[in-house]
Amino acid sequence: MMALPYLIIIPLFGVFSMPVVSLAGRKAREAWAALISGATLAVGSWVFYWVYRNGTILYTLGAKSPLGQGVDFPIRIVWEVDLFGALMVLMVTLVSFMAVVYSTGYMRHDTGLDKYYTLILILELGMLGIAITGDLFNFYVFLEIMSIASYALVAFRNDTWEGIEAGIKYMFAGSLASSLVLLGITLLYGQYGTLTMGYLAVKLSQNPTVTAKVALALFIAGLLFKSGASPVHMWLADAHPAAPSSISAMHSGLVIKIGGLYALARIAFSIYGASISRETVGWVIIIFACITLIVGNAMAVIQTDMKRLLAYSSVGQVGYILLGLGIGLAAYGSHTGEVALAGAIYHTFNHALMKALLFLIAGAVIHQLGTRNLNELSGLAKTMPKTTFAFLVGAAAIVGMPPLNGFASKWLIYESSALFNPVLGAIAIIGTAFCTAAYVRVLYTFFGRPSEKVLEAKDPEASMLWPMIILAIAIIVMGLFPWQISDRVMLPVARALEDQLAYVATLMGGG
Amino acid sequence: MSTTDGDMGVVVRTSARATIPLIGIFGAYIVAHGHLTPGGGFQGGATIAGAGILFLLAFGLEEMKRHFNKNLYSALEGIGGLAFLGAAMLGISVAFFYNTLWHNGPFFNGNPGTLLSAGYLPIMNLAVGLKVFTGLVSAMAGLALYRRWRG
Repeated sequence: MMALPYLIIIPLFGVFSMPVVSLAGRKAREAWAALISGATLAVGSWVFYWVYRNGTILYTLGAKSPLGQGVDFPIRIVWEVDLFGALMVLMVTLVSFMAVVYSTGYMRHDTGLDKYYTLILILELGMLGIAITGDLFNFYVFLEIMSIASYALVAFRNDTWEGIEAGIKYMFAGSLASSLVLLGITLLYGQYGTLTMGYLAVKLSQNPTVTAKVALALFIAGLLFKSGASPVHMWLADAHPAAPSSISAMHSGLVIKIGGLYALARIAFSIYGASISRETVGWVIIIFACITLIVGNAMAVIQTDMKRLLAYSSVGQVGYILLGLGIGLAAYGSHTGEVALAGAIYHTFNHALMKALLFLIAGAVIHQLGTRNLNELSGLAKTMPKTTFAFLVGAAAIVGMPPLNGFASKWLIYESSALFNPVLGAIAIIGTAFCTAAYVRVLYTFFGRPSEKVLEAKDPEASMLWPMIILAIAIIVMGLFPWQISDRVMLPVARALEDQLAYVATLMGGG
Repeated sequence: MSTTDGDMGVVVRTSARATIPLIGIFGAYIVAHGHLTPGGGFQGGATIAGAGILFLLAFGLEEMKRHFNKNLYSALEGIGGLAFLGAAMLGISVAFFYNTLWHNGPFFNGNPGTLLSAGYLPIMNLAVGLKVFTGLVSAMAGLALYRRWRG
């Protein structure tokens, strides 16, 4: 599969050439960023299609085979893209492209945009690297690329106090979380002498040690931080409102999923799958998931700041994904576990679309009105009808209304959690009740009597409107075929993730 | 050149004049011999950036502003990255990062231990050295220029 490295090469080329292209002015820079992320989307879609048709890709850097000369273990960095990774690649490239196109209109009044477009492409690059890599240290490097770009982007508007405050909070705590991951990798390397994920899985199952358990605990701690799980969600509630909205859309839609949930799933299933008690790890994740569900959704209800509400709602939705992931681990091998895992992956993809849409809308509203305070936004439906309609779609989808895509993914999680343990099902329903309350409140505001502030507002320009419309259409179309998508894509993805033997065999077979 | 507010004294400036070229040459040596001796692109680039920082400290911000061009340094940093990426792509027909210069030539495939060996490594070291030097100097200049102490 020779197209795979272009997933990294194209964004890298865009990043490195941006300072040169920027010299040609604003238009050139915007066109270049859109072109690069559009080309990445094309490659990402092709990679997904190829993996869907032909199965896992193994790509070795520097040679044809990952195995060393005369030895039977891998010595090189490998990229291994199974169906799960490929789905994440598609999600990242799609939402990033929308965010970049949106930025051309949204960021018009800011300065220092050469750095902005460089950073947004670096962010995309880091996330793609995490999704495709099969090497633990390579994973860490891409995790840091992603994290450092997001620290800088959260604090991008450095003339606002909240940007700096949120950036510092995120950076200090985030660096600590990354260093936990690095410490875990160090311990594993010291114990087993390899960094290739698939080969590490073999070594781990041959010789499970306490070191490996300590490393797993460090991974879970670091990655739960990155995914914004409660009780370490506090950075998220500050970072999302302070960042530019296109960046909030990428953070909430992508960064917390790739850097946290995807990595957690990959490490738990593909590396540790055979060498730990899946039930114990599953329950640890389930406990955090339940706390996250309740805290995130309940905090969303009481917010008056629109973007803060969306940020807490993201925390709540991460709770659902973690719940599905935890049940997928705890009930490994049963139908319930498989359905839960498929639901978690489905919800990851759906939530990326809908939360990106909602944050782009929040950005459009702020762009038009200059306020995020919900109390001042009543009656937006009159003056910004298209935006409000898109918000209606996004809010209904995130609550889980039947004709939209959020329904099927949440249904899978409810169903499996109720089958697994009715208490968990009840907690999930309580979370959704809070979530519904939060979004109904916002909608109620939008459809109220127009306040004076809202009267001069109008729908945003085309470059901001089109990403919103495309995401809304994607949500509606995905909502029309929920069970087809679930059976044809999400269940195979869940099976690919569960199948650790295939992951290892692809690596050791050399391709 | 007159001593303005914030500059160092004449002894420091004179010794800076003598040492900056030496630091620069030593850094260039580390970059160029990255594949033979300890050090490489990052270490050498950081050493050369040390020369730039010494210039900034010894001669002051006003003198630095005259010699430092933001666009040039920013573009050079990008070019350093592009050169690295280009070297990594030379062997793309086999694999990304395949060292085709070492395996097939036409240059940088001399005997191991000589300067012109190791395939794409010297190119990558130069690229990284350029990137680190321009990046660190730009960061230091940006910090030194940062508005003022009090708002």
